Amino acid sequence: MDAIQIRNLVKYYGTIRAVDGLSLRVAAGTMFGFLGPNGSGKSTTIGCLTGLLDPTAGEIEILGKRFDADSAGLKRRMGVMPETLGLFEPLRAHEFLAFVGRMYGLDESAVRKRVTELLDALELTDASKTLSEYSTGMRKRVAFAAAVIHSPEVLFLDEPFESIDPAGVALMKQWLHTFIEQGRTVFMTSHVLETVERLCQEVAIIATPGKLVWQGDITTFGREGAIVYDGKEFDALEPLFLHLTGERHVELKWL
Amino acid sequence: MDFHLIAQLIRLRYKLLWAKTRTRNGKIALFMAGYLLLVPAIFLFAAVGAGGGMAAVRSGKAERIAQGVLTGLFACATIISVVLGFGLNEVFSDAELRRYPLNARERLFARHFTGIADPFWFLFLALDLGLAFGLYLLGLGNLLLGTVAVLLLFVCNYFAARLVGLALDRIMRKKAGSVLLPIVFMLFCFLPGMAMPMLKKHPAASGVVLRILGFTPSFGAGSLMVRTDAQAFYGFALIVCWLLGLAAAVAALERRPPKATARTVQAKEIRWDSRFHQAGARFGSQYGPLVEHWLRFYFRCRRFKLSYLMSLPLMPFLLLFWSRQMGRGANPFAAAVGVFAVSGLAPAGAFVINQYGYVGSGFRRFFLFPIDPAATLRASSYTLMGLSSVYVVLAALAWALFAPVPYDVRGMTMLVASGVFGLFAFHGAGLWTTLYGPRRSDPNRTMGNDLSLAGNLLMMGGMFSLLFVPMMVGQIDKRIFSPEHWWVAVILAALAACFYFASLRRATAILPARRERILAVVEGRA
Ligand SMILES: Nc1ncnc2c1ncn2[C@@H]1O[C@H](COP(=O)(O)OP(=O)(O)OP(=O)(O)O)[C@@H](O)[C@H]1O
Ligand SMILES: [Mg+2]
Repeated sequence: MDAIQIRNLVKYYGTIRAVDGLSLRVAAGTMFGFLGPNGSGKSTTIGCLTGLLDPTAGEIEILGKRFDADSAGLKRRMGVMPETLGLFEPLRAHEFLAFVGRMYGLDESAVRKRVTELLDALELTDASKTLSEYSTGMRKRVAFAAAVIHSPEVLFLDEPFESIDPAGVALMKQWLHTFIEQGRTVFMTSHVLETVERLCQEVAIIATPGKLVWQGDITTFGREGAIVYDGKEFDALEPLFLHLTGERHVELKWL
Repeated sequence: MDFHLIAQLIRLRYKLLWAKTRTRNGKIALFMAGYLLLVPAIFLFAAVGAGGGMAAVRSGKAERIAQGVLTGLFACATIISVVLGFGLNEVFSDAELRRYPLNARERLFARHFTGIADPFWFLFLALDLGLAFGLYLLGLGNLLLGTVAVLLLFVCNYFAARLVGLALDRIMRKKAGSVLLPIVFMLFCFLPGMAMPMLKKHPAASGVVLRILGFTPSFGAGSLMVRTDAQAFYGFALIVCWLLGLAAAVAALERRPPKATARTVQAKEIRWDSRFHQAGARFGSQYGPLVEHWLRFYFRCRRFKLSYLMSLPLMPFLLLFWSRQMGRGANPFAAAVGVFAVSGLAPAGAFVINQYGYVGSGFRRFFLFPIDPAATLRASSYTLMGLSSVYVVLAALAWALFAPVPYDVRGMTMLVASGVFGLFAFHGAGLWTTLYGPRRSDPNRTMGNDLSLAGNLLMMGGMFSLLFVPMMVGQIDKRIFSPEHWWVAVILAALAACFYFASLRRATAILPARRERILAVVEGRA
């Protein structure tokens, strides 16, 4: 079964075209990397997939369901870590996570148990700091915790690893592997291609404005050593990505 | 000193200002400016007109009048900028200016130049200059000296407002500040009210007061404007002293940023049963967590605490002082009705008209949660309504205890009903500005005005009209606000309640369609 299905997704912001006829399928139980240059429409696509933004045109199905039918029921099964994190700055980490847990319908004892365990695991145990006083990486950790607190079936992560320290990334990866083993799905964007290459099974690469240019199984790199595209051989994700999205050489004499 | 770069920064500041007003709301901005112009203009006319204007000038009281008008303008500008936040906006903070190749001294100058080059301050400069020019036309004083006086006083005024703003901000950062500030503010409000009748009783005392006022910068400027003798030199020296003193005080306060209160390094244990949790628990499983969230959020915002606590002394003050002042011959109810009506508006006004403006990117959570997003608006509105209604109750208590008229059930009903009217009408209208005039605002900022134009219009328009319209009507016909007409207020309150609930229904239905626009605004992308 497909966990995510997108058909001809189009999204305009006023007159700005951010996504232009994107079609994708993500099988359940996959760790899916959604890549593209800055401003190519990744976050916009995630916004549409999570019900935050209304697509201008096109169809979206998550876990075989559409938002118009039972949007609350569907949202309960999704976890989201937005690009802008979506934190309430004056709150403390446990207050924020408890609020999120309650909004996802967890009962009070589950909320307290999970919040305590998450904060312990992510080393965010100082309850005296508000989120606005946290460092960039700590804020990211809180947003990650908020995405998983209700054990969702599909997880959307927008640049989850950027600015998190190696130990934190290792822990998150370990959790994500367990997550996938249970047949659940992760849909993530990232600019760190080495991490994506090691973590994801499948990757889609889009170009501005939101057009699919390549989708494929990247475990091929491990199994066969290279992927052939356009008659060329690519031995890693990075050269493939650069080939697809256009590598540029600019020299600034005064630099 | 790199004056060229500083001039560029001032130009940039106006470009930003212009870019903001060029939008659909541009026309409203001009209207607002006109409205603001009106308040001090009225004040000026009242001050000059009351004293018999020209006649007084001819009879040689010109100096006193100039001093009175200047003092009024000075106080007016300081209070408006501190209370409503105009002219105190930090266009560029010191940290932001560090991006530019300026040294510390240049940054200081750049900050204050861009601060004083605000349309708000130019308005007062124009009024001051108008006075100097008027006096010159009447054949009094020297235009050059008058202009010097005005310019010096103008800079003094800017620094005075800055100083008060900084001091308030500093007090609010202290734990005791939230208790201390209302008391300071109350004293400040009550002082003139208590002093006036005293002065009337003891004419000798007013001489003392005048002598003390003689040491203020506006009195010095008044002398400098009108005279050309030694007294003028004294006035000049006086303003310069004030200017230096105020600038030094501002510099000293700015140089020493408030110390962050040292906290224990040891990790605190999580406390689950907070007051907010207990309060929220009463609202059931659907709204409970949301109400808890909003309560906690609001009481964590320094701005909310400030405005909520400042209203504590302000309300009884307005109520008693005002209705008593108007009370001689006039109907005390005319003033009290207005004060009751604004009592549901003042304590949390900036939050009521911009309910999503303070949550930042947290706003998007409301649409990711498996709930009806409308519930978040409902919960927020109910929470603010509940918090504001406390003030209607407080006003009723104050009236029952200290009213200048004998207690009367009908009178009380009328007043409480007008409080309920203000509460529902304002909170209903606030839902519309929340949806159609959102503005990204900093929950911790205590200085400056960062509401949208629609929000400003509603807030200030509402405040002024609720306070002054009843008084003006009361002047025309004294019997209109008699307790016999209590039922009118009750009907109005019922109508306002209908308006609120109809608005809430409509607004919650529209929210999903407005969400992308609000999201772009509160995340700072619009
Ligand atoms: N609220 C908005 N209003 C107008 N245009 C927007 C808005 N948000 C995004 N855009 C535009 O839509 C396009 C896609 O933006 P998006 O944030 O989806 O890119 P992205 O792929 O996530 O980029 P990045 O890798 O930098 O995060 C960009 O051209 C951007 O300028
Ligand atoms: Mg993005």
